[in-house]
Formats: sequence, C-alpha cells, structure tokens
Amino acid sequence: MPDIRHTHILKVHHLSLSFPTRKNPDPAPVLNDVDFSVRDGEILGLIGNSGSGKTMTAMAIAGLLPEGAVITGGSIKFAGRDLVSMSAKNRRKLAGKDIGVIFQEPMTALDPLMKIGKNLEEVLIAHGEKDKAKRHDKICSMLKTVGFPDPESVITRYPHQLSGGQRQRILIASAALMSPRLLICDEPTSSLDTVTTVQILGLLKDLCRSMHMTILFISHDLSAVKNFCDRVMVMKEGRIIDKDNTMDLLSHPKNGYTAELLTNARLDPRILGLERAMVDYTKSPILMTHELNAGYDNARSILKDVDLKIYPHEILGLIGSSGCGKTTLTKAILGIIPHTGDIKYKDSHIGAVFQDPVSCLNPAHTIRWHLTEPLKAAGIKLTKEETEKRILSALFEVGLDEKYLNRRPRQLSGGQRQRVAIAMCLMLDPKLIVADEPFSSLDASSAAEILKLLTDINREKGTSFLLITHNIHIVRQIAPRVVVMDSGRIVEEGLTGDILTSPKSEAAIKLLTAEKELHGSN
Amino acid sequence: MTETTGRNMRYLAIKLLELLATLLLVSFLTFAAFSIIPGDAAGIMLGPNASPEQIARLRTELGLDKPVIVQYINWLGGAFTGNLGTSVAYKLPVISLIAERLPVTIGMSVIATVMVIVISYPLAILSARKPGRIGDQVCSFLGHVLFAVPPFVLSLLLIIFTAKFLNIFTVGRYAPPSKDPGMFIGSLILPSFAIALPKIAMTFKFMRSAIIEQNNSEYVKTAKSHGLGNIKILMTHVLPNSNVSSITILSLVLSDILGGSLIVEQVFNLPGLGRLLLSAIARRDFPLLSGMVFYLALITVVLYFAADILAGLADPRIRLK
Amino acid sequence: MKTKKSSLSAAFFITGLILLGIVVLAFLISIVHTPYDPNLTDVTAKLQAPSSAHLFGTDNFGRDVFSRVLSASKYTIFISFAGVFIAAFLGILTGLPAGYFGGFKDRAIMLFNNSIMCFPGILLALVAVAVFGASMFNVVWALGLVFAPTFARVIRTGTLEIKERDYITQAKVMGASPVRIMTSHILPNLMPQLLPATVIGLANMTLFESGMSYLGLGVQPPDASFGKMLADAQAYMTGAPWLIIFPALMLILYILGLYFISEGLRITLSGGDN
Repeated sequence: MPDIRHTHILKVHHLSLSFPTRKNPDPAPVLNDVDFSVRDGEILGLIGNSGSGKTMTAMAIAGLLPEGAVITGGSIKFAGRDLVSMSAKNRRKLAGKDIGVIFQEPMTALDPLMKIGKNLEEVLIAHGEKDKAKRHDKICSMLKTVGFPDPESVITRYPHQLSGGQRQRILIASAALMSPRLLICDEPTSSLDTVTTVQILGLLKDLCRSMHMTILFISHDLSAVKNFCDRVMVMKEGRIIDKDNTMDLLSHPKNGYTAELLTNARLDPRILGLERAMVDYTKSPILMTHELNAGYDNARSILKDVDLKIYPHEILGLIGSSGCGKTTLTKAILGIIPHTGDIKYKDSHIGAVFQDPVSCLNPAHTIRWHLTEPLKAAGIKLTKEETEKRILSALFEVGLDEKYLNRRPRQLSGGQRQRVAIAMCLMLDPKLIVADEPFSSLDASSAAEILKLLTDINREKGTSFLLITHNIHIVRQIAPRVVVMDSGRIVEEGLTGDILTSPKSEAAIKLLTAEKELHGSN
Repeated sequence: MTETTGRNMRYLAIKLLELLATLLLVSFLTFAAFSIIPGDAAGIMLGPNASPEQIARLRTELGLDKPVIVQYINWLGGAFTGNLGTSVAYKLPVISLIAERLPVTIGMSVIATVMVIVISYPLAILSARKPGRIGDQVCSFLGHVLFAVPPFVLSLLLIIFTAKFLNIFTVGRYAPPSKDPGMFIGSLILPSFAIALPKIAMTFKFMRSAIIEQNNSEYVKTAKSHGLGNIKILMTHVLPNSNVSSITILSLVLSDILGGSLIVEQVFNLPGLGRLLLSAIARRDFPLLSGMVFYLALITVVLYFAADILAGLADPRIRLK
Repeated sequence: MKTKKSSLSAAFFITGLILLGIVVLAFLISIVHTPYDPNLTDVTAKLQAPSSAHLFGTDNFGRDVFSRVLSASKYTIFISFAGVFIAAFLGILTGLPAGYFGGFKDRAIMLFNNSIMCFPGILLALVAVAVFGASMFNVVWALGLVFAPTFARVIRTGTLEIKERDYITQAKVMGASPVRIMTSHILPNLMPQLLPATVIGLANMTLFESGMSYLGLGVQPPDASFGKMLADAQAYMTGAPWLIIFPALMLILYILGLYFISEGLRITLSGGDN
C-alpha cells in the first residue's frame, strides 16, 4: 500500500541523537538515522529490546529527553511544525494538549501528595481552562470514559489508594484529557498482569477510535502488539531495521532479527523437546492440605479452606491473576507464614525457587557458601569430602561447574543465579520443589533453559513440582494437572487439557480469554 | 470519606498513644537514672565529709526513705504539675531556676532554627536546579567543611574574627529580655549563628539531594508531559514532596540545636540552661539535674510528636496507612 | 556516568584519608616520642609564640603545645573508636531483632530507643558522666550508650528491607534458625549502611567528646585533649591565637577526614550520588 494515500501526523526524518561529553564529544549515537512517519489515526507499534533506542525515540518526540541528550541531526515534524527547532515555551504549549504521554510505571507516575482530581486538573489549568466547574465536568466525563463508573469518589482519593491498573487508567485519562492528536505510550502494560493488560489495551483502542487519536505504542514484547497495532516497526541499536503491517510482519518475518525476536517472545515448549515424568495417580499424594487458611496477620486470612493434593513425580500447575493468593499459598506450604488447617507432607524438606533472580541469592556470599548453607541450616553434618561431593554433583546437575564456586551472585547472569537457587534445593534432595514464577523475570532464552532444567529434574529424579506461572502455554505442555485460584480459593482443578479447552469457573474463563486476546488463538 | 476520616483519626490516636508511652518511658528513665546511682544519692550529694545525721536528713528531705515506686509516682506527679522539688544547692524551687534561664536557651534555639531554614532552603533550591555547576559545587564543598567544625570551636573562631576585624567584643554583653530586649536578642545572634552553621550545612545537603531526587521522579516527568512550566512543577510537586522528608530531618536538627546551645552559651558566657546544668553537675544537685533533664527531654518529645503530625498532614500515605 | 561516580567517591576517599592520616600520624608519633613531656609545666617559658624550640608555641603554664597536640590526638582517637564500637554493638543487638521479628518486640525496642533519642545526646552524656564521675572510661561508655539508638535505627531500617528479599525467604524454607538468619544472612548485607554510619559515628562522637572536654567533663587534666586545650586557651585567645588554632585545626582535620571518608563510602556503596 503506497504511503501517498495517508495523511501523516508525525514525520521523523533522519533523526540522530547522542550523549556527548567533554571527554568524548562524538560518542556512538543512541539514535542513528531514525526515519519513519505515523499515519493519522493509526496505532503504530515500536518494538525493541532494552537499549535499542525505542524509549529515546519516544522521548525525543515528547520533548522529554534526559539531561545531556543532544539531537545531532534530522527533524521531527508534528502536524507540519518542526519540534526540534521549536522553543521550549512553544513545546510546552503542545505538551499535554496535542501530544499526550503514558509512562511505564503507573505506581510512581502520579504525585503521591495530591488527590486524583488535583493530579488531573493540572493539565487543564496548564492549558488555560479557567472555569472550575468546567474542569470538574471534563474530568468526570473522562474518568467515566476510562472505566470509573463513579468518578466523584475517585477524584477525592489519593494515588496510593488505587491499584496499578486503576492508576494506569488515571494516567490515560490525564493524557487524553485535552484530546491530543498523538498519544505516546511507553510500555504502558509491562508492569500489569495479563487480564489488566487486555483491559488497558482495549481502552486505548477505544479511545483511539472514538477520539480520533493516533497512538505510538512502545513495547519490548513483540507478541503483545499482535492484536493491537496496525503497523509495527522493529528497532535495534538505534536504527529501525524492519517495518510492516502487523499481520505480515508477525506471520512472515523477512528480517532475521525480527524472526529471532518472534521465536524468543513466546516460550514455546514444543520446540524445546521437554519430557516430564509419568505420574501414577493411584499412589497416595506426597503433599496434602486440608482446609488450609493463612494470611499475613491474624485478623485476616487470605487463603480460604484450600484443599490441595500433589502426587509423586507430578508437575502441578497453579494459575490465577495477581492477588488471587498464589504466593500466600506457596508461603503457607513452605511453612513461613502461620496457618490453620492441615498440611501433610511425606518428606522433611521442600525446595523453593522464586521469581526474582536478583534477590534469590545473598549478595554478600559466594556460591560455595550458598550451597553449603542448606546443609548447615538443616543441621546435616557431613565430612568435608562428602560436602564437596554433594556440592559438585548439585552444581553439575544444574549445568554449572566448579569454577563458579568462588564467584559471588553479582558475577552471574539471571539464568545462572536461578540455576544456583535450584542447586541449593537439590542439596537436600527434596521430594517436592515449589517454583513461584521462576521464568517470568528472565529473558526468553534463559527462561527456556530453566524450564528444560526443571523438567529434566522431574524426569530423572522424580521430584514433584508445584509450578506457579501465568504462562498458559507452559502449563499446557508440562503440567498434566492444573488448579485455578481466585480470591484465596481453589475455584477449579482437573486435567490440564480439560480445563484449558473448556474452563468452567469465571476466573479460568477470564484468564484464558485474556491470554487468547493478547496472543491470539493457538 | 468516612473511611478517610476514620483513618485520619486512627493515625492521630496512634501518635497520641505513642506520645503518652514515650512520655512515661522518658520520665521513668530520668527517674531511674538518678535512682540507680551507685551508692547513696544523698551521700554522693553531700560528699565524703558528711555526718550520718546530715545524710539521713537529706534522705528524708528528698523522700529517699520511701519505697522506690512511691518515689517515682511522687516525682512523676510533681513533674507534670511543675513541682520538681527544691534545688539542694540554690535552695530555690527547681522550676523557677529553670524558668529564669529558659529565655536564653529557647531564644538561641529559635534564632538558630530560623537561620537554618532561611539560609539552607533557598540555597538548596538554587543548587539543585543544575547540579554540578560551579555554584553548586562551592556550596556543597563549604557544606562539607562547615559540617565538620564543632559549634564551640566555631564560636571561638567567630569571637576572634569579630574582635579582630569588626572590633566587636561579643562575650559578656548580655541583658535580660525584660530589661533590654534589643540587647538580649543582639547578644544571642552570634552564638545562634555558631550553632546554626553546621546544621545549615546538614539541612542544605539533605534538601539538595531530596530536590534532585524529586526532580528525577516519574511524576515530574508526567507533569512535564502535561505541559507544566519548571517553576510550577517546583512549587506544586517538587517542594511539597521534598518537604515531607525534610520534616523529620528538621526535627532532629532542632533537637541538636537545643543540645548544642548548652555548650555554646558557655563559650559566650550567657546565663542559660547550660550554665545551670554545669553548676548542678558540679554541686551534685540531683533534684535540679533530674528536673532539667526531664524538661529538656519533654521539649524534644513534643517536638518529635509535632513532626509526626506535620508529616501525617503533609503526606496522605503516612496518615492513611 | 559510572566513571564520574567512582572518581567522585575516590576523590572524597583520598582527601579523607589524607586528612585523617595527619591526625593518625600525630597519634603514632605521640606513642614513640614527643619533643617535651606534654604535661611538663615551665613557668619560664609561658605563652611563647611558635618558634623552632616550640613548633606550636607554649601555653600559659609553659607547656609545649606541639607535644600536647600530639598527645591529645591519642585520646580523641581512642575515645571515638571505643565509643563507636560499643554503640555499634548495642545497635546491632537491638536493631537487628527489632527489624527481623517486627510486631510487639519491634515496637517495644523502638519505643525504648526513641525515648532515649528524646534526651538531647550531649545532655545524656553529660549527666551520665556527672552521676558516675568524670573519667575517660565513663565518657566512652556514656557516648556509646548515647549513640546506640542511632545505630539501632540504621540497622532496623536496613533489616526491614533485607528481610523481604527472596534469599531470606529461601533461608527460612531451608530451616535456618532466626539467629543464623540474622547473623549470617542479614548482617553481612547491612555493611553498605553500617560502614558509613560507623565512620559518621566516629566523627559525631568526636564532636561530642570535644564539647564535653571543653566543659571539663571529658578527658581530665592534666591530660591533654583538644576540647580542654581550647577551653584553657579562651582566656588568651586574642594575645596567643596559636593556642586556639593548632588544637582546633587538628580537631577539624580529624572530623572532616572522617566525613569525607564516609561520603566516599556512601557514594560507592549506595550506587550513586543522587
């Protein structure tokens, strides 16, 4: 389709940008000859890994470049006017009025001391709306548009009284309040869960159509833009290396890098050749809970009468949206929060692997210390040779070797740290390992390797796993049975194939629909 | 709204309870400190040459012959009704001795506090506008150096400086506020300045980094994307948010100033609580000493309470927790 | 950006070490040798200006100021280090369990701590010395007690943050005892907070000690201390400024050196100045 037929609201023309310093006046450019146009009314995706220059491109357009950034060449034409040469004062007149921006972190993007109403009002005041009643009406109607049926009660609240998803709606409201022609969204959903992400994307799409807004959508996740953007551009090392219609780009990537991004974007277990252990469900469960109630303070229990069974050799999937009580359940099973009800476990140790590879290891100690510590903590006394033997075998099992022993966590990559955390579990040879979102903070290739490692352990040692994840593909491939949680209860459990094809509970339906909308049908 | 009001009241109630508990503990600690004195308090007060009869008389006079708990309750009752007994050395009520010296100490503390706020805040705002510029670096360096000079040394240097270069002899010029208010305040300026300077450096350093931190915050970026000007952002976002954290620091600074004035007034030979304290220590006047300790702590307790309430007022996250 | 940060912290660190080095050198020299006996009075040589015989001049008793300055650095360094050791020890002993256990224990410990902090520090130290008598050892433990709550606060805040990390949860899962978690899992990670606090504590303690000595309630005569030397010099300050300048300079060098080192530490350990 030739570009001639469209009117362009924004034209970025051979834009280059760098951070020169006194010592190095001509450093490698952060943006290198970036050239693209945004059509009026479209949703254009800008995809790239961190450091690819996508956020810098957005900030250059929004006029929010950080200190020290210098545009070394090119122009940015917005509705025919050049933004690069424009005075700061004129830029400010455009900001918020014609160009709106939504940022990644909804938790910190609102002034915590101001009520929501005040936070929103400042846009209107800055652009000369003097009538207080008019401002109030405008804010209320916008709040209704972004999905607050009772705006009067929202404007008197403070940001910390709202959830992340709600705050992101407020930020969308503040950006859309002056009906800007261009809305720049810088990773607006990366800190939200799947269900909320789908809602926010739906809202943005509605706004785009009903208010005739053009959206420039920045994301690191190629699959997230699948059902959202009309066109997609891929950035790498400060250059735009690929652009096409979303469907064409995703289904037939011509560029090698785009294809690589695409395979990495989805953790597809089918490619990995995973093989798990066979489960004999006639055996008695290795772990059983009965009417389990637990919470962080005595007054309020988050878990409500949870009955859970995990069988020997089994990988049990646990899914649910954020706040459903998944993490509380794992903590109760691991015995680190007080609970009432029964937990029957047939072994003495349970292993645990957590989400965050940064904080899973103690930065003050070496890897050798980490692997010795489980024995010491459990009071197991071994000779030096036996300890050394066990450490090495655990290390080899997770695919590391003895040269890592004297390193400290900061010298390891995220994937390697997760391996050490798994090796720590293996030191005590537990019959069950609880893994709480062990992949979600890792890049795609490390996540794939960790996933393979877990199934290997399951197959070779017969270790059972309780696997908490939001990735339904993984559950489908490696967990024969799955439980769904909502508001502290188990609302559905059964064979994975049954639940994923015909979910019965509302929570499961919601999760699956969101997943489907975000990533398309499988 | 009712939920919010409820939480506001809850915050106030918790803070009041804390205040009460702290007051009780502070009074108990003060009392205990003078009760666990090794040996007999009366014996220590009278020195080694006292006769047993003299000691017994003083013991009765101080109420030391009663059970400890009764002594504490009596003392506590007295402390809150302003009756802390009679100074052994001066033979005057403790409360009137303290009241007489209080104006100098309070006067110095107030003047020093005003200096801290008036000088450090504007400097911090200016410095934080473009961190790393020459003006900012000079301020930061001076801040570091001033921070390291003990107030009493600063006082000595200021006295030498004013005497040598301005021909003003500050030591010994003093008039009570009732006689000559102008001279009273004049005599407090230099000592207040000596106490204030290191605290100005400290507050400056703190406020500067608080403002820089706020300038880099996400909501300032949001405000910029809304088209707000720099001055507007400074006034409506940056300063209110920096102030929240500065309230706590300021309350610590105030309590330091109060303690610092006890020493500095000695350098300038001013008749404040510091001098009274030293003479009470020298004469082992325990009723006077415990009274002064308790009242000075009381001022600090109230100060911290006020800081907590102010912080709660300024920041909804604190009061609506 | 990284090089800028590390060069800034290195500049602070080196300047601090040089300033501190001067005082430590004086301390080391004073152990081996002082030109005169620091407490030897000589009425024939009183209030002499600095000369080759008396580098820093003499005081009103004819004592050699240079020797006294060398000797005074010894007390300053000893008191600050011993006091900080006590304060840090007590602070860890109370702050670590308060932060780790939370709940009632935390509230009780912190209420006690905050109550102590309500007494102006210098007042507390003075009264302690007044009640138990003025001696160097009383000054040391009084200052240690006065500063302990500050350390407890720093330790508690750090502990509150660190105990939420996954590796602490992991340690609990492995069955490590609370004492073990606190001492070998949490404490080593508190160094970024503890180290600058210790150095700053040394400086603040010196501020206090010199003030107390100035009032005559610190190091006792005839031993030399910077505070007492300055108090004695006050009467002669216009005629014999060297009596003020040299002790004041040494005192400031010591405190400033410590501040610079702590600033360098803070920037390095916290990962950036602003």
